[in-house]
Amino acid sequence: MIEAQNITFRYPGAETAALSEVSVEFPRDAISAIVGESGSGKTTLMMCLGRFIRPAQGQALYDRTDVFDIPEHAFRQRLGMVFQKLYLFPHLTVLENMTLAMRHAFGRDRRETDQEAEAMLERLGIAEILDRYPSQISGGQAQRAAIARGLLLRPDYMLLDEPTSALDARTTDAFAEWLRSLKDQTNFIVVTHDILFARRAADRGVCLMNGQIASEGPIEEALSRLHLNEK
Amino acid sequence: MKIIRNLFSLIAARTVVWGVLLAGFAMIGTAAEDGTQDPLRIALTGRYPPFSFYNTQGELDGFDVAVSRAVAERLNRPLDIVTTEWDGILAGLLAGRYDAIIGSMAVTPQREEVVHFSEPYYLSGAQLFIHRDRRGEIPGIDRIEGLRIGVVVGETYEQYLREHHAEHVRVVTYDDTQLIFQDLIHGRLDGFLSDRLVGAWQIRAAGAPFLPAGDMLYEERIAIPVALENTALLASINMALADMRASGALDRLFDRWFGLPDGHDDPNASAASPESMTFALALRFLLKGFALTLLVAAASLTLGFLASIPVGIVLNLSGGPVRALTRGVVDFIRGTPVLIQLFFVYYGWGMIPVIGMSLSPLAASILTLSVNSAAYMAEVVRSGLMSVDPGQRLAGRAIGLSPVQVFRLIVWPQAFRIAMPSLMNSVVALIKDTALISVVTVSELISNVRSVVSVTYNPIYYLLAAVLFFMVTFPLMKLAGQLEARMRAKGFDHD
Ligand SMILES: Nc1ncnc2c1ncn2[C@@H]1O[C@H](COP(=O)(O)OP(=O)(O)OP(=O)(O)O)[C@@H](O)[C@H]1O
Ligand SMILES: [Mg+2]
Repeated sequence: MIEAQNITFRYPGAETAALSEVSVEFPRDAISAIVGESGSGKTTLMMCLGRFIRPAQGQALYDRTDVFDIPEHAFRQRLGMVFQKLYLFPHLTVLENMTLAMRHAFGRDRRETDQEAEAMLERLGIAEILDRYPSQISGGQAQRAAIARGLLLRPDYMLLDEPTSALDARTTDAFAEWLRSLKDQTNFIVVTHDILFARRAADRGVCLMNGQIASEGPIEEALSRLHLNEK
Repeated sequence: MKIIRNLFSLIAARTVVWGVLLAGFAMIGTAAEDGTQDPLRIALTGRYPPFSFYNTQGELDGFDVAVSRAVAERLNRPLDIVTTEWDGILAGLLAGRYDAIIGSMAVTPQREEVVHFSEPYYLSGAQLFIHRDRRGEIPGIDRIEGLRIGVVVGETYEQYLREHHAEHVRVVTYDDTQLIFQDLIHGRLDGFLSDRLVGAWQIRAAGAPFLPAGDMLYEERIAIPVALENTALLASINMALADMRASGALDRLFDRWFGLPDGHDDPNASAASPESMTFALALRFLLKGFALTLLVAAASLTLGFLASIPVGIVLNLSGGPVRALTRGVVDFIRGTPVLIQLFFVYYGWGMIPVIGMSLSPLAASILTLSVNSAAYMAEVVRSGLMSVDPGQRLAGRAIGLSPVQVFRLIVWPQAFRIAMPSLMNSVVALIKDTALISVVTVSELISNVRSVVSVTYNPIYYLLAAVLFFMVTFPLMKLAGQLEARMRAKGFDHD
């Protein structure tokens, strides 16, 4: 299980804390959504859970161990992250994007990783983009490719920041279905300000407001206690 | 010619005095025969016909060259001739790059403060030459206001004019006589001040429409300078000259190069006239120089590029003393002329304590150009690294790559692609900068083309040299343009 324990964090030079005393759990076998208005601290929380930000107070725990006490290399394999801007590597083909970490960070054989990546893209329905460069694929394909890149490392958890920001309403629905179809692969935590998407994709929800937890629980319950502007 | 010949025999008369020294000379000669002989390194410009120039075979020839050979022979040492620019020739002697200069250098009090001169090996003097068409107009140097008079930088004439004719003469300085000739023909000069012998000879050789105007301004004693501490060499050179005089060898050389006093020229002298350098030979000489140019460019670019990567990384650090120091050095290199850096490395390197060893012209050139291109390319590398989205690093870390792997596999390949077009431009700039190294005696394309023009008087060779450069730089510039276009297509230029 991954959890935040009493996390407080303030960006250097900022007047108010981006997160204050945030405690929340993300159990396995459920898709969790972190929702909240722009600037409420969603990305900051994700960066704390993902071992990129060390909170001033409190800690992020993975199976009850502080994430900073787990060797980075081992931690990265268990927890995948896809950033809002995806950051596919523009100088590499989609296939090379997929296999880069497996080959170099985890010392796997090239032929084997190529096969695995091809199988993964096949399963995600984007096999045709294999040999293209990131600039030659659509936003939705890029989104899936970025997720596939993380999934190939077989992480225990996977954090997605605003995965629907590049999608229109129709494809957002399809994307929610697609995500649910991958529940057997990993435990997703999605950061989103799109309530409709959160409702369709997630089992559980956490609402952030001004850096604090406003509500938490099964998705409908978590959302009903909140008056967010639906978009 | 008669006057000159008389002046010449005047010194010949002094040989009587030196006869005494001959015995000593013989002793040194035999003593030297036993040991292995260091070559006698003699400097001259190779661009001062008829004293030194490249002949039709592309070999060094001329009166000074012949004197050098004769002296070396009498010292019983192999001869090693170094061609170098006139304005750095004394500095090179002081830096120990060669043992002596046999380059028609006049004895002056200022020069005598820093070097020892041998006895003169010929006498000449300063003479004003003008265009034939203005014969009646310019009777002499001091009778007309505002004359534009050309002189070669660093020659005695420049200082003489500034001291004695500063008010009514405009002194225009040139790198070599060749350029003065062209400007006088094109009317950009009213006349030039030169050695009387050289002037007369060059005018004849070039068939140039120039004439002496007025009397010689002063007489010059032309001698061989050696470093102050090199008294032994000075003594043996003096003995060699005395011997050449006594045996008539010097007279024969003089006759060969400057004709007989009554005007019927020695046939050998006209055979040695440099006008007849063929196109094929000139081209071969230019290509040989260009090969050296490209070699220096390739070596400097390789070293410069390798150095630019760590320097570019350091420049991208957020602060700290290492960055500040590197920043300062890079700015200094970029903010000062390459020529000055080159002079400093060439003449000053050996004076840096600890190192204490001077660099060969080629090494000094490659070192300077490497450092220079490293500074420019580091700036390009820095901005390339900076334009890679920081999120790329984050994404690399998130999939488990180490910081080193992130740099090697993700950041550097992108930075390099972004930097590529600018790097190409640096490459082109550096190839052009190699033109400067001719000043430290590397006989690359520029140096060779100037030699060719100094004997053919055909400026078309400048264009030919430019075309050679362009044949290399044009594809590179084209490539830079294509890379840029391709990168835009691949979505590399962010925002
Ligand atoms: N690098 C930073 N430096 C200073 N302040 C920051 C920085 N990043 C975020 N903040 C501030 O911290 C707060 C929380 O930001 P965060 O990015 O976590 O919000 P968010 O919920 O992800 O918003 P959005 O939906 O717009 O992505 C905001 O007030 C934001 O202005
Ligand atoms: Mg955010």
